[in-house]
Amino acid sequence: MKRPLEFFLVVSALAGISSCASLTLEQVDFAWPVESVLVVSNTNAIEEGRYAVAFNVSKLAMEEFQDSTALRGATLRMLRNSEGFYFVTGAKFRHAYVFAPGPHELSMKSKIEVTKYVLRNPALNQRTPYVELVDGDAYKVLLTSDDMVEGKKP
Amino acid sequence: MRTALYTLLAVLIVLLSAPELQAQQSDYAVKKSFEERYQRIKNRIDSTSSISELDSLKAQIVLFESDFTPRSKFLDKALYPETFGSKISDLQTHQVLTYDRVYLIQTRGIVITQLEAKIALLTGRLDTLTEERDGLFQELQESRKSVASLRETVKRLSANLQAKDKLIFALIDSIFLPYDKNINQVSDVQKDAISRRLEKANIVARIYEVARDNVKFLEMTQLQPKDYGNLIDQAHQFSNRWSGIRDKVNAVYAAGEAAGTKGAGGTGGKSVPPGNYLDSLLMVWNARLQTTYWSGLAQEFTNKGVAVKPFIDARSFSASIRSYVDSAKATGFDATIFVNEVWKDRIDKEWRESLTKDAMLGKAEYAALDKLVSELSEQKITGKFLLYIAIVLAIVFLGWWFLVRKPKQQPPAQTQQ
Repeated sequence: MKRPLEFFLVVSALAGISSCASLTLEQVDFAWPVESVLVVSNTNAIEEGRYAVAFNVSKLAMEEFQDSTALRGATLRMLRNSEGFYFVTGAKFRHAYVFAPGPHELSMKSKIEVTKYVLRNPALNQRTPYVELVDGDAYKVLLTSDDMVEGKKP
Repeated sequence: MRTALYTLLAVLIVLLSAPELQAQQSDYAVKKSFEERYQRIKNRIDSTSSISELDSLKAQIVLFESDFTPRSKFLDKALYPETFGSKISDLQTHQVLTYDRVYLIQTRGIVITQLEAKIALLTGRLDTLTEERDGLFQELQESRKSVASLRETVKRLSANLQAKDKLIFALIDSIFLPYDKNINQVSDVQKDAISRRLEKANIVARIYEVARDNVKFLEMTQLQPKDYGNLIDQAHQFSNRWSGIRDKVNAVYAAGEAAGTKGAGGTGGKSVPPGNYLDSLLMVWNARLQTTYWSGLAQEFTNKGVAVKPFIDARSFSASIRSYVDSAKATGFDATIFVNEVWKDRIDKEWRESLTKDAMLGKAEYAALDKLVSELSEQKITGKFLLYIAIVLAIVFLGWWFLVRKPKQQPPAQTQQ
């Protein structure tokens, strides 16, 4: 008699846990309609007003320029795609960075080389399911969260 | 013609900026371009004071809308919580409201220019009257010895004060005329403009001067009963006119103070509305007029030795006359002097015009008193009259008796044959 009761309790607990974990809201669209153009402060921080996102970019500066202070006063372009990943790039960048949000962090999902030289005046556009990166009239590529899917590296 | 030029210019500006818009590939740049162009048009609407420019801005709004309509869905999201449609609608509403305001100011501006000329003319005439008044007060001082000359000076001075009174209110009407009758609906900017005009024309000081001159006139002048009719009317009308504009003057004075200008007042302190000073002076004027009037009237009774109860206003005068008549009826004392020499010869002939004014006794009360006094006269006449009639009848009867009485017939004398 004792064994079936233990079995029942274990099964119930597992069922409860699995029912909690299975609650998933689907077809969420995280896309921002327009990119945010943000200026890096002297403390290497950026703060996005409309969607209330703020973070420190010194590690990003280190990654792109090998100098943690290289982005002070620079202008960054940031856009969140429909999947919820953050795309970040800026003038003099060679890459577009894709970040996944986590608890109190943004972790780099991918680092996409978008040019062999440097971007001059880039802009990110929402072109669901892609993110469009333009730089002047001649340069336009489409990005996913992992790679560049259309366009040529100049 | 000018409107057409502005429209053409607006079209050219838009056409020149269109390729820039078409070349834009950044959504952010589109949003920014939209916001900048919106703000540029809005600023031009705010800063313009020309109807023709507002017409051209209307055309620019239409082009602005058509340029960005292809991106309206994007802008609906990018401009959240506003939308492309709401932004265009706001701009159109702003243009229409500004157009109405500018149109109103421009059309009123013509009236204001004409009124400015009128104000200048009236101000000049007031200054002339003020100079004349100074001379007349001086003349009044000097001509006390000659009664005829004194009367003439009083007449001229009274006419001068009345003319000034009318002019000052014509001047105020001219200043307030272009604006709404309800001062609460007038904007602060307009109130400030009125305040400046009032100050420029020295209005409050002039009203104060008219009231003060009238008080001085009453103090200096030995008035005749018939002079009071005009003076009462003038004081009453002045008081009514001032009541009509007091709130307006105080309101624009307050607006002038708030705007940092000196305000419409020239006689008061910084925080006391000028109307308060005038109110107190009007009270002095009215009190002086009442005192002079009723004491002058009381003098008529004193001069003839008729002891009526003292009175200081219409109410006490009425009570005094009623009391005297009641007393005469009750005791039967001889009131002939009161009736004939005071009431009929002086009050009814000289004072009736002023006493029948609404500000004094009023027509109904005067008629009631006159009737009471007449009854007293009839009562006195009736007793004597009956005696006279009796005496006359007696004399007539005696005369008749003597005339119609037949003499006794003598017996006829016998004749001898």
